Amino acid sequence: MIREVKAKILQQQKIGEYYFRLRLLCPEIARVAQPGQFVMLRIAELHDPFLRRPFSFSRILPPRDRKRKTEKEGILEIWYEVVGKGTSLMTRLRAGEQLDLLGPLGRGFWEVPGQKKAILVGGGVGIAPLIAWAEKLQGKKKGTKALSSSVETPAVLVLIGGQSRRRILGSKECQKMGLDPQVSTEDGSLGKQGVVTDLLERELLTSGHSSTTIYTCGPMAMLAKVAQIADQFDIPCQVLLESRMACGVGACLGCAVKVRAENLPPGVWPSAEGEGGGEYAAEGGFREEGISQPAKSLIPGIGGAPQFRYARACKEGPVFEARYIIWEGY
Amino acid sequence: MPRMTPTSENPTLTVELGPLKLKNPVLAASGTFGYGEEYSGIVPLKHLGGFITKGLSWEPRRGNPPPRLAETSSGMLNAIGLENVGLEVFLKEKLPFLRRVPCPVLVNIFGSTEKEYAELAGRLAEVEGIAGLEANISCPNVKAGGAIFASDPKTVYRVVAKIRRATSSFLMVKLSPNVADISKIASAAEEGGADAISLINTLIGMAVDLQSRRPVLGNITGGLSGPAIKPIGLRMVWQVSQVVRIPVVGIGGIVSATDALEYLLVGARAVQVGSAHFIDPRIGLKIIQGIKDYLEKNQLPDLNTVIGSLKV
Repeated sequence: MIREVKAKILQQQKIGEYYFRLRLLCPEIARVAQPGQFVMLRIAELHDPFLRRPFSFSRILPPRDRKRKTEKEGILEIWYEVVGKGTSLMTRLRAGEQLDLLGPLGRGFWEVPGQKKAILVGGGVGIAPLIAWAEKLQGKKKGTKALSSSVETPAVLVLIGGQSRRRILGSKECQKMGLDPQVSTEDGSLGKQGVVTDLLERELLTSGHSSTTIYTCGPMAMLAKVAQIADQFDIPCQVLLESRMACGVGACLGCAVKVRAENLPPGVWPSAEGEGGGEYAAEGGFREEGISQPAKSLIPGIGGAPQFRYARACKEGPVFEARYIIWEGY
Repeated sequence: MPRMTPTSENPTLTVELGPLKLKNPVLAASGTFGYGEEYSGIVPLKHLGGFITKGLSWEPRRGNPPPRLAETSSGMLNAIGLENVGLEVFLKEKLPFLRRVPCPVLVNIFGSTEKEYAELAGRLAEVEGIAGLEANISCPNVKAGGAIFASDPKTVYRVVAKIRRATSSFLMVKLSPNVADISKIASAAEEGGADAISLINTLIGMAVDLQSRRPVLGNITGGLSGPAIKPIGLRMVWQVSQVVRIPVVGIGGIVSATDALEYLLVGARAVQVGSAHFIDPRIGLKIIQGIKDYLEKNQLPDLNTVIGSLKV
């Protein structure tokens, strides 16, 4: 259920040189939101900037007691980087002010049955939704231990990468959850020198990779590399894709992501809420600028590559199974 | 049940687009409201004057490569590329919901030949539960070398007449502002047999990324919408209202009741709200309420007295 609500800003905090954290009181959305889902945030009351901005959650604290209202429950946290007009204006928001949110939207991360290990790979501010996901996986572990030791919960490994130490986020949060993240920086100012995908490859080579799932978010080039590694080791990989969005609810078709058009195996790509996930799948063929193509044939210009279609990041994503993304150009 | 007489405390917002009666003049524009379903959880559709579905073609189209959106000052560019599910999937998967919608639904259609428009209109005429059609004629005409249908009065007349022969349904023709003389185009649509005219579609624009020295949009150019285009929309609706006898529906940058009322003043019988939905899904309802408040405040019992009442 999508809601449009006014959230109260509890805290606006600068974290490091490039990033900010917004702490919002929003029990309506915090109650139902899942890691990897997002909200569309309205920054200006007037019309410049015109559009809302999508943000995923770095933390979701659902309200435990509907009657008791405290400011420690029903909370959403958003981490953001100042990249343009919208995010610059966001830095002016202050505690006590109201913020208009539309959400929760999209499909978040999902658990893979039988997984024994979850490797979370984050680049820069892309670590944010993975922190929320780690917290959920870790929280589940605690809960199930108390109830029954027979329920298997995955071991969680977090890999964090960035250009320099000032681009590394989330290690403190991981430690609070009892996780010991591995860090890499390109300039070697923190952790291992290199890129985070090197950490991932080394981990998979040295510790094995049976019943392992990768969850990742960050710059496109990094995601493409993570997807390639996952493919190489033949392990499932979920990527959270950032995309320019207008509506956030699947109406405008603005946030197109190029994906394979073949019908997807059930369970791998579950339907988005209330709608068939494969509705644009090629059954009758596509019309490309007036040229009708039979369904099974190849699209000119991409040679022997499989049929493709555009998926909506806001509805079928923003979390996708990596092997259904067409990564060309990254 | 006794009918209430409209008074300034209970003004009537009912308007007539030729044969189509609307309980209020606020419609949701094609391409900004999906198939209604996407917004049905957050917007009580029964309060809307109606909505127009995403542009439909005979065959499915997968649209343009991303990025498809660029934000601009008080507006946005889009280059979706008319992505849609195609007629077959529309009838099977979208229509059952649309039939249950408690407000009039118009289906926006387009084609790449006159024949395609006519076939699509003919097929939809057989379908129950649709209040009418809106023909988007801002598409490349394959037979005319790719020039858009909407740019030449003769082509406009021919395509509209062809659709008219294929259907007796309510037919609204949506005009492009990217033309030399909008009045001539509007007259051609009227002569062709349109029941109403809606304008304006988006203006062709472009956004550039200085750092990468590339166009922002995958399609290079896109359609500009939002508050930035309202003055152009108002001007064109004003011009067209002077020359046609059929109802005109105003579109372009409407984000408030004031904007909507301005369009009505210059001659629009109804309005379409477009990209404002992306910021505020319930904007249509707020505009309807705002129009009501305006009528009450000014002690006007009937919205129709406002329409075309611009003092020049």
